[in-house]
Amino acid sequence: MASMLNTGLQSEQNIEVHKFYSGSVVLVSFVALILQAFLHKYGRWADVVDLPLLIVIYFGVSRRNPVTGLLLGAAIGIFQDGLSHDNPIGLYGIAKTLVGYLASTIGAHIDTDHPVARFVLTFAFFHFHQCILAFTERALLNQSAPYFSLHLLVDSLISAAVAVFLFAALDRLRKSS
Amino acid sequence: MIGALSRHRPLALLAAVVLAQVLLLAYQIRRSHDVRLIRYWSVEASTPAAQGGTWFFSHLGGLWSGYIGLRNARTENDQLRAEVAQLELQNRELETQANEAHRLEVLLNFREVHSEAQMLAAQVIEASADPASETLVINRGDEDRVKRNMAVITPDGVVGKVVEVFHGTSQVMLMTDKNMGVGAMFADTRTHGVIKGTGDPQPVMDYVVNDEKVAVGQTIVTSGEDKIFPKGLLVGVVASAKDGNPFQKIVVRPAARLDRLEDVIVLLTQEELAPGKPGTPYTVSPVPPPPPAPAAAQIKSTTTGGANPAKTENPAAPQSSAGVKTEHPVGTQATPVVKPDQLGGPAR
Repeated sequence: MASMLNTGLQSEQNIEVHKFYSGSVVLVSFVALILQAFLHKYGRWADVVDLPLLIVIYFGVSRRNPVTGLLLGAAIGIFQDGLSHDNPIGLYGIAKTLVGYLASTIGAHIDTDHPVARFVLTFAFFHFHQCILAFTERALLNQSAPYFSLHLLVDSLISAAVAVFLFAALDRLRKSS
Repeated sequence: MIGALSRHRPLALLAAVVLAQVLLLAYQIRRSHDVRLIRYWSVEASTPAAQGGTWFFSHLGGLWSGYIGLRNARTENDQLRAEVAQLELQNRELETQANEAHRLEVLLNFREVHSEAQMLAAQVIEASADPASETLVINRGDEDRVKRNMAVITPDGVVGKVVEVFHGTSQVMLMTDKNMGVGAMFADTRTHGVIKGTGDPQPVMDYVVNDEKVAVGQTIVTSGEDKIFPKGLLVGVVASAKDGNPFQKIVVRPAARLDRLEDVIVLLTQEELAPGKPGTPYTVSPVPPPPPAPAAAQIKSTTTGGANPAKTENPAAPQSSAGVKTEHPVGTQATPVVKPDQLGGPAR
């Protein structure tokens, strides 16, 4: 684990800013949102993985630009709120905006291409996203959303595992430097 | 500020986006009573400012009304004070007119009751400058047929007599003057005496023997012996009486308010006034004469005579009650001879 972190943690000057094919970010985000909504009707298992969250994390740490990261997170989160029908607009938006900003900021300092780093980052961002959601629901919606639970832990582990493969697949959309 | 925003543009943008979404959330979320959260926040955020503004403006209003507005209040206060003073002056004038009307009404009634007597209404225009002299000046004089030694009365009782007559004014000596004397008698017992001024507000009744029973409050009227005051005019009441040597010391409270005379009546003749209507204090009806006493003395009532106690035939003898015709006294005992200067004669 320590060697993997050492491999991932490189100096800022050596971190490469990845660029993607035009329209790929929008298309991938749109597909993720549609897929999330489409799979939702097939049962609870589809909610284990938050595909829009994984997209925000991936493009955030890959592009390493906080502005585009937070804007992408805001756009995806608001769109996700719009598709949820019962969530007020902005609930996921706020959480994913913060995740996008934080992922971009972290991605600008460390190498996030390593699968272990991606697993750890996804795991951490999942709970961070959940904490923001819970806080927002408690503060604004007056609902008792949990900050942490065993069920959320399992979901975060599954999401982190899925993210390792998903991110590897999304790496194919990068432009070759 | 702008430089800091450009240096931390991502952070600023993050804050803006999050804030916008928070506001968006607040717009959608409804709290209790179906109130949107953003409205709830707006009210909550604006309430302290509104309360502060209300407090500020209320205190500012209090400052205005309490201090700055006092400038107008002071002016208004001065105007109101002036108005109150003017109203008080008008009120005093009205009271004075009402009192004068009342006095004139009393005088008119007196004149109507004694329509057979010749009398003249007069106003007191000044008093004597000498504190020791109990005199005053009325606005009737020689042109009004006023003559010396005419009686001056009020509807309440005897005032004094005219001592000097001028063209348009006359000087009146009050019955309280040291040089003044009025022939008088008790209304019930008809016992005669002489009212003498002492310079004090209350004259005394002299020449009443010690054996005569005198009670406080006993009414005293003129006897007519002085040839100035008609018989039966109210003089006053006994204020106090005690034995003396050789006569009682009887203090009389005048019926007329000698200290506040404004309108008086000058009797142009000495004719006896007819008894007034029952209840009127102008004159006292004579009581029926008692049976004559065996040792009745006769009063030497002449214009040249005087109330000289030394000439009293029997000063210590009891006096008798008088009948209607007191000018011919039927007292049981000798009544002191009255000097004319004491019974309304010239005071000099």
